[in-house]
Amino acid sequence: MITLTDFLIVSAALFCIGLYMIVSKHNAIQILIGIELMLNGAILNLVAFGKFDKINNGGQIFALFAIVLAAATTAVALAIILNVYKKYRTIDPGRINNLKD
Amino acid sequence: MGRLNIQVSPTGRDLEGLIINYLKTLIPYQDLSTIYFAIAAVLLPLFACIVNCCLPGKRNKVSGWIATIAILVSCILSISIFAKIWNGHPAHIQQLWFIIGSTQLYAGILLNNLSAILLLLVSVIALPVHIYSIAYMKNDENYDRYFIYLSFFCFSMLALVVVDSMALFYAFWELVGFSSYLLIGFWFTREKAVQANKKAFLMNRIGDVGLLTAIIILFAQYHTFDITQLFGDGGLVSQSTITNGLWISPVGSLPAIWQYVACGGIFLGVAAKSAQFPLHTWLPDAMEGPTSVSALIHAATMVAAGVFLLGRVYPIFNTTELDILAVIGCFTAFMAATIALTQNDLKRILAYSTISQLGFMVMAMGVGAYASSLFHLVTHAFFKCLLFLVAGIVIHQMQHIKEDNDLDIDPQSILYMGGLRKKLPFTFIAAVIGGLALIGLPFTSGYLSKDGILIQAVDWSDNKNILFRLVPIGAIITTWLTAFYVARLIVKVFFGEFKLEQFHPHIKYHISDGGWKYRVPLMLLAVACLFPLFSLNPVLYEHAWVFTGFSSTHLQRINIYHTIVPIGVNILSLFLIYWAWAVYTERKLLIFPQTGLLFHMSYHEWYIDKVYRKVIVRAVMALSRVLSWFDRKVIDGFIHLLSTVTIAISKIAAWFDYNVIDGISRLLTFIVQITGNFVRRFQGGKIQYYLFSMLAIVLALLIYLSV
Repeated sequence: MITLTDFLIVSAALFCIGLYMIVSKHNAIQILIGIELMLNGAILNLVAFGKFDKINNGGQIFALFAIVLAAATTAVALAIILNVYKKYRTIDPGRINNLKD
Repeated sequence: MGRLNIQVSPTGRDLEGLIINYLKTLIPYQDLSTIYFAIAAVLLPLFACIVNCCLPGKRNKVSGWIATIAILVSCILSISIFAKIWNGHPAHIQQLWFIIGSTQLYAGILLNNLSAILLLLVSVIALPVHIYSIAYMKNDENYDRYFIYLSFFCFSMLALVVVDSMALFYAFWELVGFSSYLLIGFWFTREKAVQANKKAFLMNRIGDVGLLTAIIILFAQYHTFDITQLFGDGGLVSQSTITNGLWISPVGSLPAIWQYVACGGIFLGVAAKSAQFPLHTWLPDAMEGPTSVSALIHAATMVAAGVFLLGRVYPIFNTTELDILAVIGCFTAFMAATIALTQNDLKRILAYSTISQLGFMVMAMGVGAYASSLFHLVTHAFFKCLLFLVAGIVIHQMQHIKEDNDLDIDPQSILYMGGLRKKLPFTFIAAVIGGLALIGLPFTSGYLSKDGILIQAVDWSDNKNILFRLVPIGAIITTWLTAFYVARLIVKVFFGEFKLEQFHPHIKYHISDGGWKYRVPLMLLAVACLFPLFSLNPVLYEHAWVFTGFSSTHLQRINIYHTIVPIGVNILSLFLIYWAWAVYTERKLLIFPQTGLLFHMSYHEWYIDKVYRKVIVRAVMALSRVLSWFDRKVIDGFIHLLSTVTIAISKIAAWFDYNVIDGISRLLTFIVQITGNFVRRFQGGKIQYYLFSMLAIVLALLIYLSV
């Protein structure tokens, strides 16, 4: 029997993996994947907690919105990455350090 | 200005009157033009010296003419001053110089008979020498430097004779010595010239110290440097007496010993400048300078400064001191004459004859023949200058022969000369006139002055101890010796065969008297060596105007000496001249042995230089070696010890500084550096670090809030 706790554990694991990827990877695509993983962890939480709202299915609907938004942000992020690559000839965020004071 | 003065003097005319009255109190009784002339005459050579310093180029021919024109104008001014002052009222002007405490020191110009004639003499002698130098030095590399020095010397010497204060006198005395030093060492690339000018300078230092001591003692006793106040008629010196071991003057008293020390100091000054016995050895060596310099400075003018000093301070000497002066002067004259007998260097013979004649002057001062001494100073300046200029021409021609034929000879040695009267007829005549004046034969100026000295020396010893007779006897013998060595010199140079031709038969030469720049000075000086310039009567020195100008009492021909001495001296002199001529041309009569004690004594200049070297120089060197050792070992050792201790202390201090004081600050910087390095990692511009640190902070906050 799969309980709510299992869902939450999987979701926490996804979030942590995403977080780790964001902090440690040298490739902007992989970082984007990490962001998606974190987003999906959060969406999994929404769906899991949706069983307590069986009348309106608020959790399910909110998850759908989140997926759509995530797809949009991913498209924007990929476009940014493409432009960054054009400008710096690299997508390693460690080497794009123009944010430094 | 005018408005301010209105209350003091209502009209401008009164103001003028006040100024004139003030000037009259300042300068009692003469018009100022004489003084202005004197100042101009003194300053012109200095001006020429400065102008020549500023001229471009090393061999600028203009420099000679600038110096000559300056001295020519000085000469004309001196003549006009002389015409006004001689036997007239002395001119004396003073100006407050400076004040020390309550002592006021004045500086000024004093023109009396003595300074007027010296002023005239120096400028008149300097003029032909300048003209001669233009020709004589024309090929020298340092032509302009020569005239700078020569003008500077003329300035110092002219100033020396006109100043009225002993302090100023001393200053110019030193400047005269200094310019002499410069000119002796004019060819400073020659080792001998450098040695000679050092020797002259050192020996003059001894005299300078003596003179300075004397001036200080005089000031301590009389509280003034003023020459008129000190040595004038009825001045402070003539009013002071020595009683009971005290030297009493109107303004104070000192122990009598100081009077002797002062006189001794003055004598040292005189001996050094005028080359008297203990300090005379610098003068023969000083002949290393250019011959024209020897003529002006080391024969005619500078060496006379000592006698001039004697003339200025004459009243200070008491009879005993005058006797000592007479003895030393006589000894110097005799010694120098004996040395001149055997020397072979043309200029050295003349140098010793200068010493001998200066000895005559000092002796004359000593025997009280004040006027004759100064008279001899004047006449000697002319004929000695003439002889030196003649020597310059002869040496110049010998130098030409030497260079043309590439010979290895000393151009100054009379052994190589002879028969030059045919080659240099004009020079020969000048030499003969100068030589006769030096011997003191009648119809020359030398006769007038020298016989005056001899007669007065005889008079002086007449009523004294028998030993004092040695002084006039020595002087007369010196006169005969002079006759002999002058005849020897002239015969060896101008008569007989040309020796150089005998040694080197193949030499070619063409020599002559030279242009007008050589002839005119010789002519002027030769004329000044004859009697008419000084006295219309060629045999009686008492009538010479220079003599009467200085002699207050008119001398009468009181005794037989006035006739016997000149006749006896001159007859024997004539005989000696003939003898020298016979010996050195015909070689018939006695040939002098070149061996024996007397010859060696004379040839080696009485061994005085050697004795000085053995005794004084060696003692001084030993002393200085001891002092140097003391310096090196004791004083330097102490200083080394101090420096070692200081270095050790400073090393400790350096260690403390480095490790403790610097250590603290270095620790601080190290901490700051670590912190900075740690913190800057978060600001590296890497987006992931920012994210990571944000995460860490959020976690930290969570943990903090939950605990």
